[in-house]
Amino acid sequence: MSDTKLSRLLHKPISRRQFLRYSVASGIGLYVGASSMSAWAQGSQGGTLTWLGHQEVAGLGPNDIGPDVQAAVIFNILNPLVHVDYMAVTQPVLAREFEVAADGLSYTFRLHEGVMFHDGSEFTAEDVKYTYETYAQPGNTVASRFDGMREVEVVDRYTARVHMDSVNASFLRSACEVPIVPAAYHESVGVDGFRTAPIGTGAFTLSQWRPAEFTELVAFPEHFRGAPSLDRLRLEVVPEPSVRYIALLTGDADATVWPLAVEDSLELMDDPRFKVIATNWNSPRFIPLNNEVPQLSDRRVRQAMMFALDRQRILDDLESGLGVVATSHLAPHNPFYNPNVPLYPFDPERARSVLDEAGWVEGADGIRSRDGLRLAFTCTTISGDQTRRPMAELSQIFLRAVGVEMQLAEAPVASILQGLREGTLEASLFNWTHGSITDPSPTSTLQSGGGDNFTRYNNPEMDRLIEEGLSVVDDELRRPIYNRTQELYAEDMPALLLHYNQGLNVFADTMVGVPDDMLMALPVFFDGHRYSRG
Amino acid sequence: MSTYLTFRILKGAFVVVLISVLTFVIMRLMPGDPVYMLLGEGQIPITDAQIEAIRAMWGLDRPLHEQYIVWAGNLLRGDFGQSLIRAGVPVRQMIFEAIPVTALLNLYAMLLAIAVAVPFGIAAAVRRNSWVDYASNIFSALGIATPNFWLALMLIVVFALYVPQWFGDLPLVGRIPPFGLRSWQGWILPVIVIATEEMAVLMRITRGAVLELLPQDFVRTARSKGLAERAVLYRHVVSNTLLPVITVIGFRIAFILSGTIIVENVFALPGIGRLFVDSVLRLDYQVVQSLVVVFALLVVVVNLLTDLVYALVDPRIRIS
Repeated sequence: MSDTKLSRLLHKPISRRQFLRYSVASGIGLYVGASSMSAWAQGSQGGTLTWLGHQEVAGLGPNDIGPDVQAAVIFNILNPLVHVDYMAVTQPVLAREFEVAADGLSYTFRLHEGVMFHDGSEFTAEDVKYTYETYAQPGNTVASRFDGMREVEVVDRYTARVHMDSVNASFLRSACEVPIVPAAYHESVGVDGFRTAPIGTGAFTLSQWRPAEFTELVAFPEHFRGAPSLDRLRLEVVPEPSVRYIALLTGDADATVWPLAVEDSLELMDDPRFKVIATNWNSPRFIPLNNEVPQLSDRRVRQAMMFALDRQRILDDLESGLGVVATSHLAPHNPFYNPNVPLYPFDPERARSVLDEAGWVEGADGIRSRDGLRLAFTCTTISGDQTRRPMAELSQIFLRAVGVEMQLAEAPVASILQGLREGTLEASLFNWTHGSITDPSPTSTLQSGGGDNFTRYNNPEMDRLIEEGLSVVDDELRRPIYNRTQELYAEDMPALLLHYNQGLNVFADTMVGVPDDMLMALPVFFDGHRYSRG
Repeated sequence: MSTYLTFRILKGAFVVVLISVLTFVIMRLMPGDPVYMLLGEGQIPITDAQIEAIRAMWGLDRPLHEQYIVWAGNLLRGDFGQSLIRAGVPVRQMIFEAIPVTALLNLYAMLLAIAVAVPFGIAAAVRRNSWVDYASNIFSALGIATPNFWLALMLIVVFALYVPQWFGDLPLVGRIPPFGLRSWQGWILPVIVIATEEMAVLMRITRGAVLELLPQDFVRTARSKGLAERAVLYRHVVSNTLLPVITVIGFRIAFILSGTIIVENVFALPGIGRLFVDSVLRLDYQVVQSLVVVFALLVVVVNLLTDLVYALVDPRIRIS
């Protein structure tokens, strides 16, 4: 692969101006696409597109939209009121237009008229009310998206208004992505019944569902955005990444929802039969540190460790350079990303002087200690995780050089998550989302007592900022709040941020209509109606 | 005979119950919570109250002994419960959908292995130190030593990718897919991978058994009666090699689950091995517990049947 091609993909920072330009461009693109399908679909009419996933499609209801592979299928059967597209722009889908009250306490959605569900019934505001009020009930995995919602009012057949008890700034991008179900049918089959036999307004209907093998959808000609060009969409479950790579080469698949191994994706970059598009991950690769452990509770220790890590080298040596060094809990492509935070360039001398100032003195074995407490801890990596374990090993060497001992252990992922949540583990190494494009708030990860607060981080200012951020709906008013959360995070450094990975998304030229640029790859798969077979 | 059978059945039942209790306890001791398996890597934030609501819905908030009694009671009535992760789908349906894939995979592999390994094993023993013997020894050693995972990937690369590129479709076979069971050709590579290991073991055991039998008195007697070498071999020697071969086949059934996990994973086959591993990783208690009980039952029954078949094949063995 040529260096220029790689560097073009790797060094693709996006400015706010570019982001806005992309947003406008994608908005225009979608408008044109909606009015004329031919702008997207230039392949032949009919045929089947086959996508590959890595894990089984365990369910097809609104509660199942978490795992990527499931979302790729579900959003072609069911539609939400709005969704965040591949350029991170909020787009109306079943809603023709929407309006957010200035106080953030109500959302009005004017719906498309004449939209039909697969069973021939018409989609109305009653279905919105039923869906939101059903899935907001505790016991549903998407219930937390509806936090703050009081009720849904049916203003008329095609207008629904959501009333909030309290402002939830992420409501539009989070709750309104929950897909709409037909009230009468859903009531008759229940939440679990619907998961196995979904009916929606999507461009495809469920034809065959064999969870561990494949899911096949057939075109729904009465789809409100126009009949799809394809006859069928098929998602095959292929757990082994090398086999997914071979399946693309043999023509048995047209795209993979879950990425290939990096080296395989790089191989395909030079193959003219494939379009390989790089996108940044939302979740940083990081080392969460238990901030309650005495030797890690001093933020100067954590800051020193950041100076000690050569994070660019970790990225270059172990990730083929695919990614960017992390500076914030939000990814660089996030509209709320703040680049003006304290930075931690690789500087072992500075690391040593910070530790000296903090009173940690190097012992005979080269490991520092203070008041009889050794500066040592254990980082538990996920059993069998051959990708991230070497990063822990390299970090161990960097930290040892400044007098910090990081021992390594392994445990299953469930054990690690539970250990961190209960505070029985000292550190680990994995990726976790701390606020995404759809919701920049790090509520569960950085708020004291948050369910995913793996570092046991506790800063009253951060708690206050998180509350404030969720109580304002205007993005421009939210921005200074999240600017400050990122500064605070960089000052306190509750975890050792390593980098944001770059995913290489592979599409075969047989999938016609794939956009040439994208900030997020997953939403590309929600638009099965836009593609045709070349 | 009937006393023996009753004793064996009671012993088997005790083993199955014991295994079900152990599995139940081990699954609950495993760290982690199945609720988290629904959430992805932080994509869905969730509060503790919501986690508790989901646990209550699944009955995981009830005391352990109560959970076990409910589950075991349902199991006795043939109700395996519902999967936690694949909610709405009965576990029985999941198991019954997966069993045929694994059973056929192993059946085809075993038939292929017997068809190849037994004749070659006999030939290797009869023509000891000939090229047949060396070839069978080398194949046995390689077959046992080659990891399934590597062999599977190599076969996919060669037969699904390069052979069609260089030579087009294979005669009679046509095109071999890299994964799945969309066509009958999808069975070919996974069966070969499993059969290779079976063949290696069986070939070695058959060769050893024949070598042990050839110097025996009854073989010398058969020869001294003036029987043709072919008759000596097929009528007296081969029939006596059945015993170790049956032992191995019975023994291998107990390893079906572990033996096919990797193959099912590489070839994306929806069999019982993959269902088991996926369910353990996602802490899908109901599925894991039910699968372990089904397999414990299978091993107990197969062991009993193997012992009974011994008596049929070898009249010297008396069940008592």
